[in-house]
Amino acid sequence: MTEAQTKIMEYQHITEILDNTPPASLSEQDRETIRAHVSECTPCRQAYEAAQLSELIVKERSAEAIGPSPFFQTRVLAAWREQQEAGRMNAFGRLWKSAGALVASLALTTAALAALSFTVPQATQISSETNPAVESMVLDGAESDEQLTEEQMLSAMYVDDEGSR
Amino acid sequence: MKAFTQLKSYEGRGSLEGWMTRIATNTCLNMVRASKRRPELTASDLSAEQSEWLGQNLANLAGETHRSTENKLVAADLADRLLEGLSPEDRLAVTLIDGEGASVKEVAHTTGWSESKVKVRAFRARKRLREAMEKLLKYHKTAA
Repeated sequence: MTEAQTKIMEYQHITEILDNTPPASLSEQDRETIRAHVSECTPCRQAYEAAQLSELIVKERSAEAIGPSPFFQTRVLAAWREQQEAGRMNAFGRLWKSAGALVASLALTTAALAALSFTVPQATQISSETNPAVESMVLDGAESDEQLTEEQMLSAMYVDDEGSR
Repeated sequence: MKAFTQLKSYEGRGSLEGWMTRIATNTCLNMVRASKRRPELTASDLSAEQSEWLGQNLANLAGETHRSTENKLVAADLADRLLEGLSPEDRLAVTLIDGEGASVKEVAHTTGWSESKVKVRAFRARKRLREAMEKLLKYHKTAA
């Protein structure tokens, strides 16, 4: 006894079989059992007709399903390669940018150092050259009247007056 | 494109094909979920071509059905209308198993559902489709 026959005996009708079993997996023996039952049972005949038509339209729907175009895979792979290439270029660009920033900062530092090496010795030379002049000017100035302050001049006058007395 | 943009998240544990199928299935299910489910199709909603298709195929169930391109389009349209009455998950199960001839195991693998869940969904979908078709045929026979 097949499963379909057992179920017909169990449920008295075939609707359980129709709903539970994919139509394609029904054996010819099952179909014979169903046909024998529906010839005598009107509700089951209507259910069987409906199930057959439902199966038919679902199959037609699947047959009409739209598949990808033949170049779909080629296009997807090309797009993937493009993205990979763009990613690589981006990585290279980022590396180049960071390297560029490093080079620029190095160049600036070098330029600053070069400028310092030119300016700092001159300043040292000037200071070493000007210091004796300044010293001599101060010394000379201390001795000349023109460089004396008013206070110094007054004290000098008092000293002269006392000396003359 | 979703698979393409999420390619980095592919860990290589399963096959690439399986991973992409799962993404496609879930994306399509989400899209279908987003669209509103149509109310049950009634005989008055049927076009003249669809009514004619039902009549012809009902008469030819036992024999060979003449399947022209036009007939196939009418059937596909009718299928769309009936399938719209199902939940996206039930629709997917019945389309894959009864339409594409996939096994329960294959559908479970594709969707990530358990086999019993696939069976329940397919059962529910077949039952609803059959009942909707029975109603249409009843009206059709009455009208004829």
